[in-house]
Amino acid sequence: MTNEALLEVRGLKVGFPTPDGLVRASDTVDLEIYPRETLGLIGETGSGKTVLGMAILRLLQPNAAIEGEIRYRDRDLLTLPEDEMRKVRGREIGIVLQNSGTSLNPVYTVGTQIAEAVTLHQGLSGPDARQRAVELLDAVGIPDPVRMAGEYPHRFSGGMRERALIATALACRPTLLIADEPTKGLDAVTKRGIVDLFSEIDRDRSVLFITHDIETVEDLAARVAVMYAGEIVEVGGVREVFWDPAHPYTRGLLASLPERGMRPIPGSAPSLITLPPGCRFSPRCGCAIGGCNREHPGLVEVGPGHYARCMLYD
Amino acid sequence: MIEVTDLETNFSTGFIHRRVVRAVDGVSFWIEEGETLGLVGESGCGKTTLGRSILRLIEPDRGRIVVDGTDVTALSRSELRRFRPRMQMIFQDAYASLNPRMRVSESVAEPLKIHRMGSRADIDRRVRELIDEVGLNEEHLNRRPYELSGGQNQRVALARVLALKPKFLVADEPTSALDVSVQAQILNLIRDLGRDYRMTCLYISHDLGVTRAMSSRVAVMLEGRIVEIGRTADVFDRPCHPYTQRLVDAAFAGRACTPPERPPLPAAPTMVEVRSGHWVEETV
Amino acid sequence: MPRKKVILAASFGIVFAYCAVALLAPVIAPYDPHAITGAPLSPPDKDHLLGTNDLAQDVFSGLIWGTRATLLLGFIGAAIAVAIGTAAGIVSGYYGGLIDEAVMRLLDVAMTIPIFPLLLILTTFFRPGIYLIAVLMGLLGSFQGVRVIRSQVLSLAVADFVVGTRALGAGDGYIMARHILPGVLPLAGVKFVTSAQHFMLIGIGLGFLGITDPSVVDWGQMINRASQNGAMVLGLWWWLIPPGLAVTLISLALAWLGYACEDEINPRLRVMRI
Repeated sequence: MTNEALLEVRGLKVGFPTPDGLVRASDTVDLEIYPRETLGLIGETGSGKTVLGMAILRLLQPNAAIEGEIRYRDRDLLTLPEDEMRKVRGREIGIVLQNSGTSLNPVYTVGTQIAEAVTLHQGLSGPDARQRAVELLDAVGIPDPVRMAGEYPHRFSGGMRERALIATALACRPTLLIADEPTKGLDAVTKRGIVDLFSEIDRDRSVLFITHDIETVEDLAARVAVMYAGEIVEVGGVREVFWDPAHPYTRGLLASLPERGMRPIPGSAPSLITLPPGCRFSPRCGCAIGGCNREHPGLVEVGPGHYARCMLYD
Repeated sequence: MIEVTDLETNFSTGFIHRRVVRAVDGVSFWIEEGETLGLVGESGCGKTTLGRSILRLIEPDRGRIVVDGTDVTALSRSELRRFRPRMQMIFQDAYASLNPRMRVSESVAEPLKIHRMGSRADIDRRVRELIDEVGLNEEHLNRRPYELSGGQNQRVALARVLALKPKFLVADEPTSALDVSVQAQILNLIRDLGRDYRMTCLYISHDLGVTRAMSSRVAVMLEGRIVEIGRTADVFDRPCHPYTQRLVDAAFAGRACTPPERPPLPAAPTMVEVRSGHWVEETV
Repeated sequence: MPRKKVILAASFGIVFAYCAVALLAPVIAPYDPHAITGAPLSPPDKDHLLGTNDLAQDVFSGLIWGTRATLLLGFIGAAIAVAIGTAAGIVSGYYGGLIDEAVMRLLDVAMTIPIFPLLLILTTFFRPGIYLIAVLMGLLGSFQGVRVIRSQVLSLAVADFVVGTRALGAGDGYIMARHILPGVLPLAGVKFVTSAQHFMLIGIGLGFLGITDPSVVDWGQMINRASQNGAMVLGLWWWLIPPGLAVTLISLALAWLGYACEDEINPRLRVMRI
């Protein structure tokens, strides 16, 4: 495994103008993804994790204010012209979006939709594309792939739809796959199936696994980043972050898991329009010291490859 | 406190080819007073239908349900309506369970108004008490559901339900749509309030971890039938039925190497008492 | 956005103005519309703003008083149509099952009846007064709205908040009145506006055919009498054109109001969650 990062996000800021003010969904995010690793991105609703995933492929709405740099293979994705960007999307970086219910067009068969991805990027068409679609469905674990390729999305269960979406994203063999909440709303057994599938996928490529489900990240990822209120508050190896968390938010998050005691974090996440001064977690933090609500902390190294955004470690 | 015998709820679809789906296929169990029984299973196993059938929000086709000494299945429509305050339900999507046009104060006051529990001043006072109990404050009273977060909406839903001081609460996946830290808040709230109000609870979920934290006993449901029921620790640590084993593996254990096959379904299911209070559906 | 507000305001203004004219007719109109006042078929002058018709009645007064008939037919008819249609839609959609089947089958039959010809026949034979015509139009026009209301009710009736309220012990009547009805009111409101426009035009049509109550001044009648008396040929523009313009204006205003309301109502209760 080389030390050269496959994808580097530097200083990413994403803001959405609304009648009530600018929503700072992402505020100066730095992130690296290395080849052939799965990076877990954990956060709750409103933490900015989905926005980050979408920003990498420039899939955000046109009025989003984006600053910063996203380096992929010596190119800054944010400054690429649109036709170049289109070649990156799907072929080099694939994405599986949230809400699998509406991600598939109900009037086309699933096979047709997967074949579409292949046709767009690899020029295959007709029976070749269809053959590839069937192979992909088989590879993602859908039983009876020949028949299912000819079925419409409503015949697919939630788990199967998720697999079909993964197949579409993998159709052109991207080097990086972004998966946004692939296990949301699935029951335990189906979730396990999807997690197993991902453990096969990440053997040949990098995966950015965005989720709020902490246990699946533990199974799949080598490194994990925790987001809160639009920032990365902790990043490091999965073992270190989950068994020796540095940031109080990470600790609170883990403590609120049913298996670890179900102790809630008091209060609620701040509005992304009016953020609290200093550390964004300080109003809810049990360990806050004097300077926490005045100075905004940067990421500090708390262990090898393990960083946390907290004054306690400065 | 709760006793369900041979409950059956069927759905028939199709106009020309009538197909009958046995959503709840002969379910029996009991819940002690003050106890929380967890109900787990995959999507589509019928657990939501079971929860609603017990409350007769979906009319069961067969069977007997006894709640706090009263045979609920034998009640007429108007008797049932009068009995309803004693058994309540909170839903998975808190936002959908509240009328989007009604303010929080109106939603919480509604049950009190329907059953005419006091003058307007009394009702106002009780609404404020309830809001406080669920962890909200005065400023939330005038808000509408879309102005509140998922967790806050679930608190409102709880306040609405507690207004009637129910003895039995069915919680249908109340936190599966919520973030982990909010989930912890709401679950702790449900646990505390359950204790304060001395409620008996049926906790429906597909998340085994949460169920383990919330229930003293658990029932495992598969395709409309209960295949294992017993003390939570026993069922999850030493599962007897292969399906339970499969669920537990998926939820708690490490990575499975090969996807496990579905167990063959028994011809005529009978329940066998493996240990005292711990029943398992017999596998041939 | 501002353009829509302008249209909304303008159409509201026009409707309001018409209502004011109708209410204040006795005050505004210079003459009794049936009274003979001066020379027949004379063009506008300072005494008669829009001239006189063949019976030497003041056209302007006729125009003012005619507002009443038009608005009455439109609004009363629409009110009845919407009331019946909404009630049927709510009951049918909420209860489902046999009641729903019965209403739907009834509707299937009823909607094959052509409304205008039936209305024509009934009014020709029975020569009812204007209020009765309004009621008839309302009854016949109620069928259309039922399906739309019903489909909205179908999705509302299974919403968790309705199930939850039933779980609280509320009766069906309470739920229908307090939860379902407010949910369909926006739809019903839009239907009211479009029905009113529709019925006003039908009313003018009936008047044109000479079937409505002759004792009530009606723009349709005026247009009819004007053309029968050769207004086109003789160039009696002051008699022929104003009633037509008056109808067109209110019709347009109501149509715009309908569109603007529809736009306002639909996305308002939806909130995006990221």
